[in-house]
This record gives sequence, structure tokens and C-alpha cells, in this order.
Amino acid sequence: MPFRLLCLFFLALIGCSSDLDGERSVVDGLGRTLKIPTKIQRVAPLAPSITDLLFASGAGSTIAGVSTVDDHTPELDSLPRYSLIPMDLEAIVALDLDLIIASEQVNTLRDADAFEALGIPMYFVFIDSLSDIAQSIRKLGHLLGTSEIANNRANELEDSLSLLKSLTETTTDRADLLFLIEHTTLYAFGDGSYIHDMIDLAGGYSLTQDISTRFPILTDEFVLTSQPEVIAGTFGSQINSSKILEAHPSWDIVPAVRSGRIYGFDNANYQRPGPRLVRGAWDLAEKLHPDIVKPHD
Amino acid sequence: MIRWIILLGILGLLSLVISVSIGREVSFTDALSVLWYHTTFSYGSPPDPISDRIVWSLRLPRALLAIIVGGGLGIIGVAMQTLVRNPLAEPYILGISSGATAGASLFYLGFLPPLISKGLSMPIASFIGGLCAIAIVYSVAGSRGRISVTRLLLAGVAVASLMGALTSFITLSSPEPDKLRSVLFWLLGSFHLAQWSSLMWPAIAVTIGLIILMILSRPLDGMLTGDESAHSLGVAVESVKRILIVLASFVTGSIVAASGAIGFVGLIVPHAVRSFTGVTHRKVLPASFIGGAIFLLWADMLARSILPDAQLPVGIVTALCGVPFFLILLHRKQHSFG
Repeated sequence: MPFRLLCLFFLALIGCSSDLDGERSVVDGLGRTLKIPTKIQRVAPLAPSITDLLFASGAGSTIAGVSTVDDHTPELDSLPRYSLIPMDLEAIVALDLDLIIASEQVNTLRDADAFEALGIPMYFVFIDSLSDIAQSIRKLGHLLGTSEIANNRANELEDSLSLLKSLTETTTDRADLLFLIEHTTLYAFGDGSYIHDMIDLAGGYSLTQDISTRFPILTDEFVLTSQPEVIAGTFGSQINSSKILEAHPSWDIVPAVRSGRIYGFDNANYQRPGPRLVRGAWDLAEKLHPDIVKPHD
Repeated sequence: MIRWIILLGILGLLSLVISVSIGREVSFTDALSVLWYHTTFSYGSPPDPISDRIVWSLRLPRALLAIIVGGGLGIIGVAMQTLVRNPLAEPYILGISSGATAGASLFYLGFLPPLISKGLSMPIASFIGGLCAIAIVYSVAGSRGRISVTRLLLAGVAVASLMGALTSFITLSSPEPDKLRSVLFWLLGSFHLAQWSSLMWPAIAVTIGLIILMILSRPLDGMLTGDESAHSLGVAVESVKRILIVLASFVTGSIVAASGAIGFVGLIVPHAVRSFTGVTHRKVLPASFIGGAIFLLWADMLARSILPDAQLPVGIVTALCGVPFFLILLHRKQHSFG
């Protein structure tokens, strides 16, 4: 028995020393300090926006698997897939990971506890404004040893946002814009969302920026009294006034419906807080100010 | 008795006017002027178009749906309680609502194609789901012509759980994941999507239900005395029971398709109503209809105003009122009428 204990003690000592040698401390987007391996070779993103951020930071090759809802093809075609809702812990752990990267919008601290109990650290990315995107890319680049590529990409995105700002900031024609996640049940973005930055940058005024709930469900009464001049949302490009009126017949006096200024977009460019938001801001600006913002590559 | 019905009717009308006139966006007097303008066939100056849309196109259909659903659940509560001769029965507790929800979810989330029309397919799917649920519960709870209350409630809980699991499965494996957010709100019972055009089917179903139950009011009175006594009074007990089961599924299915599963109305309302009408169905049924309508009108007003920037599904409010009520009834030793 004492011999066994001695063996265990030595084994633990060896484990600790190797951990101490191969680990470093980092602070994630939620301000949590966590210990991660010095060299990270295999990571798993827990949200499609994180996959985008990893590619943007030049660390796409470290991705060991992706969620079933990721669509960053063709780079991801050959990778193993795992379910996010509910979280397929087994499939994720089986990837033999050094680090899991999560989104504050999608994942919870409970997920982090579950993975950390299994010996895999979880790093949270936090994005609630457009400027956080470039910052997050730089941080991921630093984290994963691809700083040069990450810095270049972050600078490109910042330049793109600056260019858009220069085009729209002087416009006096800022339409009152209602941005919806869907058009039947009126889920929207409330106070503290990056979407308001996007609308501001695109040359509009977001009507839901002062609503205290983070993801409010709006009433038809709110829409009728706020009288949006533009309704935009992640309901695909097939949307038009008649489809809106089918779901909400009382909106026939809403300026956006009367003028046909209803714009539907691909949800990935607005609901995935990552580099795609820049594209989303440009697309929105093209619709709002076609005279000053031309199609952007 | 007529006095009670008239009094309840006036109370119902008042509740409707208050429900339509209260809200953040339009003042009470503006709302009243919109109602006045429309009910007097455009007498006077036309109201402000925004107030008009809010009051006439949003709040009024919503309040009318609350009346239809509340009234329907009230009378179906009466029917279920007479069917099993126990005041603990109602569509939600006996699993009909859960079955109807599972059936409607299949259609809502794109698993079933629209068979006849979009407006009719969901109530039909919902009706079939509710019918399956109550058929299972009723056959499990009955033995040698007697219904065991314990078995009835347990079977109701079990089937409601089964149907709930089925709904969750349908929801999570939906081919149209974009609809998941909407379905979550609908599953909890809500009037937020009420429109004039969505009132027709539930109104027809509830009217049919009320008419048939009123026609059956004498046989139903007879059934309260027990199957054998009812037989001796000339009531075709088994046929009436079958009609009640199909009718309960039909009305509940139509209601669930329009507003989701709203629980406990059919439990609270008939119980409250019987305390001043007695147990005669000719009185209980119309009083439960109006009582259910009033209850849901006020519950919806609460659901609309309880949170500053958002609205709650009304099913949460009815459950908050209904569950304590159910537990009090359950705690009592006697679960029988009069």
C-alpha cells in the first residue's frame, strides 16, 4: 500500500511539473483567467461565429472539428461534426483537444465547467460591438500563435469599417430602421447589441437600441407607434411588403411597408458576431444609401 | 339565474372594453373613440390611423380570441368534469392540450404538408393529436365502466409527458429550424399572433361545442348522478361519453391551433361558476363560457403588462393561477359534485 501511494505521489509530481512547464495563463473575453497549453494544435469552436474568427485569425488549420450548423465550406468538409444543441460532449472530447473556444452569446459557464472537469480549458470570446471583432481576431491570433496573419486581417476589417464610416457619416438622411430577427414573432436586438453599431455605420438609426431587454420580443403596437421607415432583418431576400402584411395586416400604415423599404438578408452576416458582420454592415449600407455606397467586395 | 348570466355578460363586455383600451401606446380615451367610431358605423371624425390599427386591428382581435379560447376552455372543462364525474378534470390536466400541441407542432414545424388549407390543416392535426391523447387516458383510467380518479390523473400526467416529449422531439428535429423561436412562444400559450382572419375556425369550433353541449345539457345533468341512474333516466350514456370525448378534442384542438396550450382555465372557471349557478348544465355551460372569457381577458391583460419591455405568454399567467387552485382541490378529500 505505501508503495502504491509513493508511486501515485511521483506520478502526480511528474504531471504537475510537465503542466507547469507546458502551460500559460490567459484572460478570456469574460475576464476569466485560465491555464492553457503553451502550444495549441487542436481547437474546437462552439459556435459558427467562432469558426469564422478562427479562420480570420489564421488559425483555421488548428480546427479539429466543427458544429453541425457550421457552413464555412469547403475548408470544413473533411472535419468531424458535433451537435451544439444539445451539446455532444462525447464527440467533442473525442477530438483530443488542447482548447475549446466558445461564444458568450451561445455558450454558458456551465458548458465551461463541464469541459474543464474533463480537462479541456474553454476560452470565451465576447463581442458586443463592431470594434470587438478586430480585437477578438488579434487576441485569437496571439493565443494560437498566428499573430501576423490575425493582425493583418484585423487591420483589413478595421479599414473596411473606416471606409464605410467615411461614406455614411456625413449623411443627414438617417432612416429610422427596425431590425428584426424574424418577421412573425418579432424577436429583435435590444440595448448593448452590436447590431446598432452596424445600423449606425450603415447610415441608419436603430429603433430598438434603447430597449433594455437584450433580445426583446416586440409587439405590433411598438412597430405601429415607432413608424419605421425601413424594416430589415434576417428573413432572407425573398421578403417583401405583401409577405409582411400577410403576417401583420395592421402594418399597412407603416412607412417601410408603404414604401416597400423591406430588406431581408442572410442571417449569417447579422447573427454571427464575427468578420461576417462587416459584410453585413456594407450590405445594409448599400440598401440604405445606394447613391453613396456601391457594391463592396 | 338569468340575472347572473346578464350580470356576467355585462362584466364580460366591460372586461372586453377595458382589455382593448388599456396599453402603453394608445390612451384610454383614444381607444374608446376608436371603438365608438367603428361600432357606430363610422359616426364622427375618423380616429388617428395608428390608434385605429392598434385598437381595431390588434387589440380587438386579440381580446376576441381570448374570449373564444377562454369560453371554449370553460365549456370543455365542464364537459370533461361531467364525463369523469370529477371537478379535477380539464383538457390540460388530462393531456388533450398536450396531444393537440404535439399534433399542431407536426404541422407548424413543417413535418405535415397542408392538406386542405393552411388555416384548416393545423386545427385538424391538433384535433387528431388531442383525440389520441384522451383516448389513451380514458381507456387506461376506465375499468368495468367506472373511472378511477387516481388512474385518470396519473394517466393524464403520463400522456401529457409523452406528448410533451413528442413535441420536444418534433421541435428539435424540425426541418425548419428558423421557426423554433416562434414555436417556443406558441407552445406556452399566447394570443400575440391574433388577427381578424385567425378568429374564424376557433370561433366556429367553440360555437359548435357550445351548441352541442347545450343540446346535451339534460343528459349531462343525468350523467352527474352516475351511469346507472343516467341509464334509468333514459340517457344513452356511452354515446354521450363518446360525443364528449370527440367534442373535447375538436374544440381543444381548434383552440390549441390558434393560441397554443393554455392550461387550467377549464379547471378554475367551472368550479367558480358552480358555486353560484349550481350544477345544472343549462346554467353552468353559458356561465362557464362567459366566466372563461372574462378570466382569459384579464389574464392576457396581465401577461401584456407585467414586464415593461416584453409580453409574456398568457399560459404562464393561467398556470400561476391554476396550479395552486388545482393543488387546493386535490388536497380536499371529496372530489365530487355538490
